[in-house]
Amino acid sequence: MSMGDESGEGSSRRLQVRFVTKLDAPFKVPAAAIAIPADLARFGLSSLVNALLQSNNADFEPEPFDFLIDGEFVRMSLEQFLLAKGISAERILEIEYIRAVAPRKEEDPSLHDDWVSAVDGSSSRFFLTGCYDGLGRVWKGAGICTHILDGHSDALTSVCIINPEGMETVTVATASKDRTLRLWKLNIEEPVNHPMRVRAYKILRGHKSSVQTVAAQTSGEMVCSASWDCTINLWQTNDFPAEDDLVSKKRKVGGQVEESLVEGEAFTTLVGHTQCVSSVVWPQREFIYSASWDHSIRKWDVETGKNLTDIFCGKALNCLDIGGEASALIAAGGSDPVLRIWDPRKPGTSAPVFQFASHTSWVSACKWHDSSLFHLLSASYDGKVMLWDLRTAWPLSVIESHTDKVLSADWWKSDSVISGGADSKLCISSEIPIVR
Amino acid sequence: MKGKKKTMTQNDDEGAPSPSEKLPSPVVSDYDSESDSDYEVAPRNTIGDVPLKWYEDEPHIGYDIKGKKIKKKEKQDKLDSFLANVDDSKNWRKIYDEYNDETIELTKDEIKLVRRLLKNRAPHPDFDPYQDYVDWFKWDDAKHPLSNAPEPKRRFIPSKWEAKKVVKYVRAIRNGYNPFDKPKEEDGPYLLWGDDSGSTEKANYLSYIPAPKQKLPGHDESYNPPLEYIPTQEEINAYQLMFEEDRPKFIPKRFTSMRSIPAYENAMKDCFERCLDLYLCPRVRKKRLNIDPESLKPKLPSRKELKPYPITCYIEYKGHEDAVTSISVEASGQWMASGSSDGTVRIWEVETGRCLKRWEVGEAVNCVAWNPLPDIHILAVCVGQDVLLLNTCLGDEEEQKCIKELLWVDSTIASDDSGNKAPSVSWLKDDKHMGLRLRHFKTVTALEWHRKGDYFSTSFELLIHQLSKKLTQKLPFKLHGLAVRSTFHPSRSIFFVCTKQSVRVYDLLKTKIIKKLDTGLREASSIAVHPGGDNLIVGSKEGKMCWFDMDLSSKPYKILKCHPKDINNVIFHRSYPLFASCSDDCTAYVFHGMVYSDLNQNPLIVPLEILRGHTSSNGRGILDCKFHPRQPWLFTAGADKLIKLYCH
Repeated sequence: MSMGDESGEGSSRRLQVRFVTKLDAPFKVPAAAIAIPADLARFGLSSLVNALLQSNNADFEPEPFDFLIDGEFVRMSLEQFLLAKGISAERILEIEYIRAVAPRKEEDPSLHDDWVSAVDGSSSRFFLTGCYDGLGRVWKGAGICTHILDGHSDALTSVCIINPEGMETVTVATASKDRTLRLWKLNIEEPVNHPMRVRAYKILRGHKSSVQTVAAQTSGEMVCSASWDCTINLWQTNDFPAEDDLVSKKRKVGGQVEESLVEGEAFTTLVGHTQCVSSVVWPQREFIYSASWDHSIRKWDVETGKNLTDIFCGKALNCLDIGGEASALIAAGGSDPVLRIWDPRKPGTSAPVFQFASHTSWVSACKWHDSSLFHLLSASYDGKVMLWDLRTAWPLSVIESHTDKVLSADWWKSDSVISGGADSKLCISSEIPIVR
Repeated sequence: MKGKKKTMTQNDDEGAPSPSEKLPSPVVSDYDSESDSDYEVAPRNTIGDVPLKWYEDEPHIGYDIKGKKIKKKEKQDKLDSFLANVDDSKNWRKIYDEYNDETIELTKDEIKLVRRLLKNRAPHPDFDPYQDYVDWFKWDDAKHPLSNAPEPKRRFIPSKWEAKKVVKYVRAIRNGYNPFDKPKEEDGPYLLWGDDSGSTEKANYLSYIPAPKQKLPGHDESYNPPLEYIPTQEEINAYQLMFEEDRPKFIPKRFTSMRSIPAYENAMKDCFERCLDLYLCPRVRKKRLNIDPESLKPKLPSRKELKPYPITCYIEYKGHEDAVTSISVEASGQWMASGSSDGTVRIWEVETGRCLKRWEVGEAVNCVAWNPLPDIHILAVCVGQDVLLLNTCLGDEEEQKCIKELLWVDSTIASDDSGNKAPSVSWLKDDKHMGLRLRHFKTVTALEWHRKGDYFSTSFELLIHQLSKKLTQKLPFKLHGLAVRSTFHPSRSIFFVCTKQSVRVYDLLKTKIIKKLDTGLREASSIAVHPGGDNLIVGSKEGKMCWFDMDLSSKPYKILKCHPKDINNVIFHRSYPLFASCSDDCTAYVFHGMVYSDLNQNPLIVPLEILRGHTSSNGRGILDCKFHPRQPWLFTAGADKLIKLYCH
């Protein structure tokens, strides 16, 4: 306020701003208003805040920041931004800053024997990958493989952790192109020196074509899977065979006697899609969402097996996720470079509320951040993983660690992105500061 | 003086009643009137109308009636006369008469008269300029008319000229031309001197064509042209290297004076050529049609309304080491097979572009084709003289069992079957690839499955094979020319055979020819039948594509000429109204081809998109294209070893 006089001289107009933040102590700047040139953009603002922080605390390490004015990201110079949004430059402008959402660290890629087709990072203790060599792998961190899930005879297409925070044993499900799903039990806590081979405890047969995706119910009692035969099947995960479909037998494979496997059958089949169902999610106990190559996203009632609503998008869809505000927004990507987000609560329209189109090829995966309302990631065949914020139309950051198609990606431990691709690598980009 | 004036006024009064009496002229001519009217008081001076200048220097002003000199009066002193004027209140009425050398005082009446004249009125106050006209001649009781001639005959007979005019109008109206509706010609702006074209309009009975104009000489043909027109020696030398036609006819030269200009050596030649021009000039008027070329184009719906159709390439299938000659997409759309000149057959996952399987067949692959049934995963491959039926090992156990049964052949049965006839094809077991091998006597270039997946046909030598019975039949028709391609009708038992110049349509049940379609092409290369079955397209090696509507005629309904090089394949989409062609010019064209169920409506063909991206290799471009069975996507196989997927 001491520099309050308007010394606007041509290009170097000055604005009065006050930097505010929800960040903790080392990132807090004094709350006094200061006058800054109006032609600063994000980078200028970020270096300004860094300079302010360093003046208070000499051993502060520079940190990229992102800036919000009235809940929108600043992606141009302040002057243009105020003009575009019609904000008065007279009063003191409050600029909120957050740490820029971009990975600070790129960990060494974990090498696989073949293309990495699926990842799941819903547990904070480990993550799971599926590979085209038919093996599933459990990793504790970059390059630390603890378990190998051995049993499928064809490439894995999808993996799913059924009870992520289970105490002793963790149940996981894998789907494969050999038309089966397998359920596995793992003991995560036991220390291992070299990867331990694990066998499935239950095999789920019933699909007529390669299984494309698997998702677990929140309680972990059931999984649903979708396949190229246009159906979605629901399965029980319990390991004791039910009375009616008890199929426990010794299987002879290649002259070796295998351990006994419980075979499960689907207890419900949801029929309605006309083409390959490429993705399912089970966000709530009662509802399943599915995306298909027949250009539709459908919502199913688990109890009745009825199709409740459908959204048509015009493109074959590859991936689907539910999240965001009130866990109601549907994000989906498919056979074009656009990541679309629908709000099913919006009445009377089936047009997407957001469309993010920075990719250059098919979108192969999209995932909402599990705690943030705004953040999601998308992976594409152009080899890039992009982090998005609903408050800006540009990607927050682009992770270009893959050299070929990215087939799958997920968040891990809320601050890392794991992604697997056709270059047989699993990349972990960590230390992404996302405010909860 | 006064007395004389009085008499004059009296005279005026007497003569007043006659309007014709001469009125006094303006003041200057007053003397004349005076001399006329007051003849008893003669003017003193008798010199007549001579310039008074003559008497200026004389002591007299003239002579009186008796011939005595009239002496000039003594000139009054200016001052005195002025004083006298000032004293005399009536001085303004006095006028000096130089002729008689006296001063006249105007009377009141005279002043009035002068004033009236100044106001442009009649001088006499009693004169009425607007009096009523009195017709003095009495007309009504005249006994004799002014002319005594009798009424002429022409007043009683109808006019011949009018009749002629009427007949002319009637004829004109009968001929559909209304002479009365002529718009009035308005005099617009016109060229004052006319122009050259006007001469022909004037003489419209003789179409005069003016002689071609000669080019007028410019600055360069001057005898002393500006320096910049004169070519340098280098330029003149350069002219010698040019072709005779391109060489400039005239090289400007510079002369200091007119007399140094030499005779023009080409005068005779130019004159001759001009004459030649004149009488060889084609004197025919060219009739030019004034039609907007845009209006001749058919009105087509915009491309946006016809979405979806393939636009951009998103996935490439890399792995082949030589040109990919043929591709085929599995019925569900999950897998795609390709055959290449490097002697391999590969199966790809459509979704990710991963190569799933690979067979070495040893020779360049001509054609691959999936069995159209979704549960029989058999791939037919044409390699040289053989057709291989491969088990792709997809599908579950039951399906696999079924496939293995189909691909099982007992060698003894096969030999028995071919015993009575000369065996054209032998069905053999192929242990290396776990399949069947059909050995032909000629090279197999193309293979088509029947929709039910049991029969398939091969060309050049046209044979129909049955998979379930392991039988081979020859077609019981005489073929005219070599069969390039053949295909089955999508719903009826009709078989199309495409030879180089024509397409023959056979009914397989009645074993007779139904139709022959003339393509008018030099060499057809591919054929595709619309899923409705009534329309088909034929692609040719000269880049033309013919669309036949079989209900319409045996001639092409439309010929699309878009590729500059050979068309290698044409294809219809199974469910979307799309068709495509691919060519050696490295492009694939996608068209909208809507066929209506209403028989009165002709098919609508709209070009949509040119798909580029392949590169040429050994002069070959895109060798094959196939649509995805369920999505509006197009696969193209190029000679550049790549397979591309174009999505909407």
